[in-house]
Amino acid sequence: MSSASNINKRKGVKLEVRDPMSFANKFIVLILSIFTGLFISFVILILSGVSGSALWKEFVVYIVTSEKNLSSVLIQASPFVVAGLAAAVAFRARFWNIGIEGQMIFGAIAATYIAINDVGPEPTRLLLMFIAAGFGGVFWILLPAFLKIKLDVNEIISTLLMNYIAFNFLLHLLYGSWRDPSTGFPNSEQYDVSEILPLLGWQSLNFSSVIAVLLVIILFWLFMSSRFGFVLNVLHASSDMARYTGIRVSLVILIVTIVSGFLSGICGFLVSAGIESRMTQSFFIGFGFSGILISFLARDNPIGILVVSLLFATLVIGGQSLQVFYQIPFAMVQLMQAIIVMCVASSEFFIRYRLIFSF
Amino acid sequence: MVKINQNYKIKMEKITKSFGDFLALDDVTFNLDHGEVHSLLGENGAGKSSLMNVLSGIYAPDHGAISIDGKVVKINGPSDARFLGIGMVHQHFRLVKSFNALDNIALTINQTSYYSEKDNLRHKILKKMDEIGFDLDLDSPVGLLSVAEQQRVEILKVLIAGASIIILDEPTAVLTDEEAKGFFKIIRFLASSGTSVVLVTHKLKEAKEFSDKISVLRNGKLVDTIIPGKLDDEALIKLIVGEVFAEKPQLSKNFGEEKIVISDLNLHRSNHAMGLTNINFKIHEGEIYGIAGVGGNGQAELSTVLMGLTKLNSGSIKLAGYGDITKFRTDQRRKCGLVFIPADRQKYALAGELSVADNYAVASILRGDLGSWMGVKKLGKQQSILEAIAEFNIYGVQRLNQNAALLSGGNAQKLVIAREFSSKPSVVIAHSPSRGLDLKAAAFVHKQLLTARDGGAAVLLLSEDLDEIMLLSDTIGVINRGRITAEFSSPADRQIIGKAMVN
Repeated sequence: MSSASNINKRKGVKLEVRDPMSFANKFIVLILSIFTGLFISFVILILSGVSGSALWKEFVVYIVTSEKNLSSVLIQASPFVVAGLAAAVAFRARFWNIGIEGQMIFGAIAATYIAINDVGPEPTRLLLMFIAAGFGGVFWILLPAFLKIKLDVNEIISTLLMNYIAFNFLLHLLYGSWRDPSTGFPNSEQYDVSEILPLLGWQSLNFSSVIAVLLVIILFWLFMSSRFGFVLNVLHASSDMARYTGIRVSLVILIVTIVSGFLSGICGFLVSAGIESRMTQSFFIGFGFSGILISFLARDNPIGILVVSLLFATLVIGGQSLQVFYQIPFAMVQLMQAIIVMCVASSEFFIRYRLIFSF
Repeated sequence: MVKINQNYKIKMEKITKSFGDFLALDDVTFNLDHGEVHSLLGENGAGKSSLMNVLSGIYAPDHGAISIDGKVVKINGPSDARFLGIGMVHQHFRLVKSFNALDNIALTINQTSYYSEKDNLRHKILKKMDEIGFDLDLDSPVGLLSVAEQQRVEILKVLIAGASIIILDEPTAVLTDEEAKGFFKIIRFLASSGTSVVLVTHKLKEAKEFSDKISVLRNGKLVDTIIPGKLDDEALIKLIVGEVFAEKPQLSKNFGEEKIVISDLNLHRSNHAMGLTNINFKIHEGEIYGIAGVGGNGQAELSTVLMGLTKLNSGSIKLAGYGDITKFRTDQRRKCGLVFIPADRQKYALAGELSVADNYAVASILRGDLGSWMGVKKLGKQQSILEAIAEFNIYGVQRLNQNAALLSGGNAQKLVIAREFSSKPSVVIAHSPSRGLDLKAAAFVHKQLLTARDGGAAVLLLSEDLDEIMLLSDTIGVINRGRITAEFSSPADRQIIGKAMVN
């Protein structure tokens, strides 16, 4: 190689495209990158003054050993799961529903309307709230869906902006006609017992976990084995091919947005009737965006969403303890979520390429 | 150190490249002389593209050495290749459609400043165009240029980047006979001024007519390098496919009733897009109606209008047994037995990231086969799919759940046809069904169309390849600027059809 030209001497790191990775290897990369994200997060927490042993205790020991904490995690996880499913169903058809939060608000508004006006007989009140919440969510996604299907308006923008309208409408209600008459605080009056999701009999665990698990099972079936799930796979892979083979793309997108909006509405219901027992302005602490991140981390897979939601819920519950006992701001929890997501997003790079070092 | 023949521009010696267990290139030695046009012939998957991808730095070979002008070089990527003066014009153009030609060329060369050197670059390009006799509008978006003009932009890209070795991958696949002639004039001129050209092609005729040497690859091995004219067609084909092989026309014997009647179709389009004007024709059962024409004269529009993918402005489509289907959606038309083989199979007929099984089964599943709405059957080991793959000679399928993107062009097309013919079609719409396929695969596609015809289907064949139209059609229509301008019964005169295409 004596006469090789100067480009042969180039040294350093090089990229090479990999063969497509097997499912098992992709899974390993995913797990490793989640752990990398956790590791970086913990380093940051340690730098901000929390000891390593405290982290271990707050995020692992106290969660697994305390029934109370464990049930808190499970309660916290339910709306995460449903928000994740709402994102997943839309993402599987490449409809980027960023408006989950707004749809949750309208779901909760619809449920609260039923609750404070005592619509229907008491035994069916919760069922009615459930259904109303779903359709409240659907109501809030129909406009972006229509704009997308008929006029090809980018749904990322329209669903995102609908969030702000929903939030301000909520404030209008809570500072106006729905303000709690007994306390004067800007939240709705508390739901009656018949309007709150019943306890399951173990700690404070309630029916929202059952709903979340049922929805996971239904969507797992829908995605993995139903004909509609197959159609979604085709549409996700190539909307051109879907159209050419006779799939009614607009109809599929309409169905998908309705399901996604419905699930978002249910998610709002789980927060108001399962955690807060009333409609408040502060309980939307980014569930919608967490749902998007969860679905992304879980690759739109319902079982994955269940697992990632438990992880996120653990971060939230552990984070609350850190807030109380170590004066760590709650924003740190969102920081951890973001770091994990960035690590997983970066791992895509290692799935596609291999690094070659030559020195 | 390897012994180097100073006479060659490029020597590729004992190049081996494997993908997993598959040996794409097996000990290939290929030499390219100064100022010669050297054709590479071979079937799909014979290794032509792999060899050229090695030369242009896209693949790194497992073994072997490359030397340019007598110096051993290592090509670690496309930028190295460019540095060494190797330029490749891909079959599918690498152009930014919304940029003009000037900006597209500016993108590929390393300039210190885009704005200050833009005028310089323009002069350079204009001078080059003058030198080789190109005519091109540098300022309109390349998306609005014709395919032939886009190809000129690609060629200018590599020339301006200073290439002394040009690799052309299937350059005439998208050109008319007339355009191809002009194209080769330019290629010959470039060769005479010292540029070495590698021409990857399927077309024997142009390889024989315009190249100085022909190398034939088969199954990853270089079979022989010959001087054109030393071998006749039959011997050359034998080198390529390993057996003698030629297709003969077979006219239909059982013309039936009118199957599909198209009356007064009109499609209005603006902004350079082709429309359709007063299209009238009918196809009988057991007839292949061929539509000849230069690409971009309304073929794609006609096919998508017939499938219900593009809404038409006026006119009617009547199908025997169903009446007027003008208002039917695509899925409804498919239920009536219309099937479609679109020209761009990678974009419209297949989803590369889905498995072979999914790509095949989508038609059956939409029809309601392979399970109910509750549960689609597991496709990975489905017997009916395996049988279809065997029946349609689809090679390169190791597992049903491998991605369809891994199939070569011919096998991908066979998969599309297997799917479209998985239920008995009543009307087949095939647009350039053998574009980019090798002789054997093209013959297979033709055989399938003939089988469908003999089974009583009405077949509409839209093709820019006049030989294909002449070979298969029972009736030939000529499309020109969105109108059917002439109609002939087979056998018809090639010259007259050719004239009707360009008048």
